[in-house]
Amino acid sequence: MTEKKPISSDDDVTIVPTGCCHDCGGRCVLKAHVKDGKIIRLETDNGEEPQIRACLRGRAYRQRVYSPDRLKYPLRRTGERGQGQFERISWDEALDIVASELVRIKETYGNSAILLAGGTGNQGMLHGVNPVGLMLLHFGGFTRTWGAASYEGALFASMATYGTISTGNTRDDLLNSRLIIMWGWNPANTIQDPGTSLHLAQAREKGIKIVAVDPRYTDSAATFAHQWIPIRPGTDTAMLIAMAYVIIVENLQDQAFIDKHTVGFDKYKDYVLGKEDGIAKTPQWAEAITTVPAEVIANLTREYATTKPAALIAGWGPARAAMGEQYCRAANVLTAMTGNIGIHGGYASGFMRAYSSRETRGPHGSGNPVEEGAPPRKDSLYKLRGGTNPNSARIHSAKIFDAILRGRAGGYPADIKMAYVVATNYINQNPNTRRGVEAFKSLEFIVVHEQLMTPTAKFGDIVLPVNTFMERSDIAPPWLGSPYYIYLNKAIDSLYESKSDLEICRELSKRLGIPQTLGDETEDELLRAIAATRGDIPDYEAMKRDGVLKIKTPEPIVSFKQQVEDPENNPFPTLSGKVEIYCEHLAEMNNPTIPPIPNYISHWENYDDPLVTKYPLQLLTTHYKTRAHSTWHNVPWMRELEPHSVWINTADAEARSIKDGDLVDVYNERGRIRIPAKVTERIMPGVINVSQGAWYEPDEKGVDHGGCANVLTNDEQSPGGAVPMNTALVQVELAPQG
Amino acid sequence: MTQMGFYFDQTRCTGCYACAVACKDWHDIDAGPVNWMRVHIIENGKFPNLSAAYLASPCYHCANPPCVLACPVDAITQRESDGIVVVDQEKCLGNRECRTLCLNACPWKAPQFGPEENAKMQKCDLCLERLERGQQPICVEACPMYALDAGPLDKLKAKYGDAVEAEGFSYSARFKPSVTFKPKPREQ
Repeated sequence: MTEKKPISSDDDVTIVPTGCCHDCGGRCVLKAHVKDGKIIRLETDNGEEPQIRACLRGRAYRQRVYSPDRLKYPLRRTGERGQGQFERISWDEALDIVASELVRIKETYGNSAILLAGGTGNQGMLHGVNPVGLMLLHFGGFTRTWGAASYEGALFASMATYGTISTGNTRDDLLNSRLIIMWGWNPANTIQDPGTSLHLAQAREKGIKIVAVDPRYTDSAATFAHQWIPIRPGTDTAMLIAMAYVIIVENLQDQAFIDKHTVGFDKYKDYVLGKEDGIAKTPQWAEAITTVPAEVIANLTREYATTKPAALIAGWGPARAAMGEQYCRAANVLTAMTGNIGIHGGYASGFMRAYSSRETRGPHGSGNPVEEGAPPRKDSLYKLRGGTNPNSARIHSAKIFDAILRGRAGGYPADIKMAYVVATNYINQNPNTRRGVEAFKSLEFIVVHEQLMTPTAKFGDIVLPVNTFMERSDIAPPWLGSPYYIYLNKAIDSLYESKSDLEICRELSKRLGIPQTLGDETEDELLRAIAATRGDIPDYEAMKRDGVLKIKTPEPIVSFKQQVEDPENNPFPTLSGKVEIYCEHLAEMNNPTIPPIPNYISHWENYDDPLVTKYPLQLLTTHYKTRAHSTWHNVPWMRELEPHSVWINTADAEARSIKDGDLVDVYNERGRIRIPAKVTERIMPGVINVSQGAWYEPDEKGVDHGGCANVLTNDEQSPGGAVPMNTALVQVELAPQG
Repeated sequence: MTQMGFYFDQTRCTGCYACAVACKDWHDIDAGPVNWMRVHIIENGKFPNLSAAYLASPCYHCANPPCVLACPVDAITQRESDGIVVVDQEKCLGNRECRTLCLNACPWKAPQFGPEENAKMQKCDLCLERLERGQQPICVEACPMYALDAGPLDKLKAKYGDAVEAEGFSYSARFKPSVTFKPKPREQ
């Protein structure tokens, strides 16, 4: 790929090809225009098609790099944790303190007392959590969490049904569908691989019908969908099961596919028809639960079952809930019942990885001495490979604050004494932020790698300034797996005294007596070596020069094509070798909340919890278009667009005398936030939305004026591991005047 | 004269603001009141029967630009070669002196003023410097949905049709804004 013309007439402007690598659903091309060592503006992909065009976040990145709030030098805390009072210290002093604290904690309590609070804020291979994890492994290990807030429910269901997370198709295959159902899926905001929205628009232009099932009339619903079906949060599973009912009683299933490729349909049929529990899962039954009219459910079912191929895309949002696994299981099973697996234009749903540029299929071992010998968790799919590590020394992410506070006495595998925080705004982005505050206050030592003074960094005893991806080189694989890589060329020198995560860990390793852990190769040498281990990077130099490698595939990638076309030689990677409508591995758990077939199971803080008398509104904490989780929160170009607010339906607002723009309190037993109301028809009555990622900013009374959604979320785990970010009951009222 | 203009495919726009942010970055405009490219949201209906559309709103470089007529000191001119409407900030009196006569005259509020005292008018110039180098305006190149295009208006109309109205946009026969649309029908 070459530039047609020089992009700037300025001879002293250099264009550096790089890309965005925070934790959004993208991973896009950026071209930094650098003059006198400073980025003066950005372009995105203007090369060969398909172009990987950056979204608004990437386009605003210059303001993040040059933010006045960038951390400039190492800091030592001088005030109370959380107050944000620090003094400048030298790198030597800062690293000496971190090293001596690591040694002290290890010698006093053992390595399990060290929590690697590592996040996904950096998606490059060399930096972020990776070097810290490697360093701590060689230091004798650490405690870590399992349960990805984003997708654990979808992942668990994907493994249980298909034995793999590679269940998706590349987005170009959407054009082969005849019907697309976007269930709890809003790629217009969440990207879900660059080009997804474009392909949806093209599908619509081609005449393909698109339906959105979502409590909100999202940008995706508004732009792509012919039909919007609002559904009550926490009840998606009921509607999907009722769809199975309609298929069964009207005999619309693809029986040949079911017979050949699945196990357990009859058991599911018994449950759906009510032979198991006396309740037939009719559309009328589901209407009472979901608020979706029975006729709408029946009609959508008939369309889905008779319009082949059809793509039911079960987004991760509804799975980010109590019993969220059941929703994805029910969706996966529906795709099997209709034979929409392994064919162009169909979709198996599941975890939805398409191109396996970063899948690992190794054994479960982690090399972490702290985890050695620990048995698998009894709620894990430990017999399968390629999913979540089942090691019982790991603590579920929703429970981590409780684990810090209660330790072994509370039944957890470790007494945590220090947190090593990297690439995450930990207390902001895990459920129940105020419990996180309590937990972080209880620790003996906290070190934070950060670019900005986040709410979490304010709790650090030592805060180390980290450079941005513009100041280092890396390779970033795509997100769910479109066939490409982004090569991030370093565009500018590290600002102020900031260093890369890798540089910091190398310095620390020397002090910890493990100097060889991270080697001393240059970024280029390391990246060249990584590229050499991949079968799909034929020309490292070209990838580096272009900043992107687009891998050509002869046709759209469709998961399970081989399994469906030639099942004798290509079993599904489940224990039975088939799509598991009934999963024996789940049955062995003998846990009624993780049943072997998908079940609708109501749960705490659902619409029918008696708690609704006090907290009558269901809270969603969706992704926001101006942030990737909590990254970009304080970028002015982002903050001026559709400012952070709570979405509330007109009827719910009127009942509370709330007008659009009024400052309101959203609260429950866990906390209270104070932000403006966005009074809108675009969210169903009874439901409100506070997009996650805004920064926690408590006043002296503990009221959060930043609008951090996790002040309100519940730090419970769903039985299969889903993190219940969309399961919380709240009340809304006008904020006190004055 | 060739009249340059915009094409906007309203059926594709997701309201993502990539165009607006790319514009601010390219032209180095701070967050604040100056927005050469604006994105409007047009919502209709009551739950659950809704529709929503977005309108990308730069300067439409009218064939008969009202801002040019309104300016008391001829600071705003229409380029003879391509009809692009440009402002000479040296001549502009500033918004305190003239009380934003150009802005008041423009039905689409394209003229922009910064927060500074007696701010001079600025607005979309169709990325003149990029056009001169054979490149598309930054908003066009930024759009992840390929919903924007720019070029000679007659060519845009030949390629995309000549719908002159869209949700949130009323055509003015008097000013002749240089834009053509693929409008979004209100009923889904």
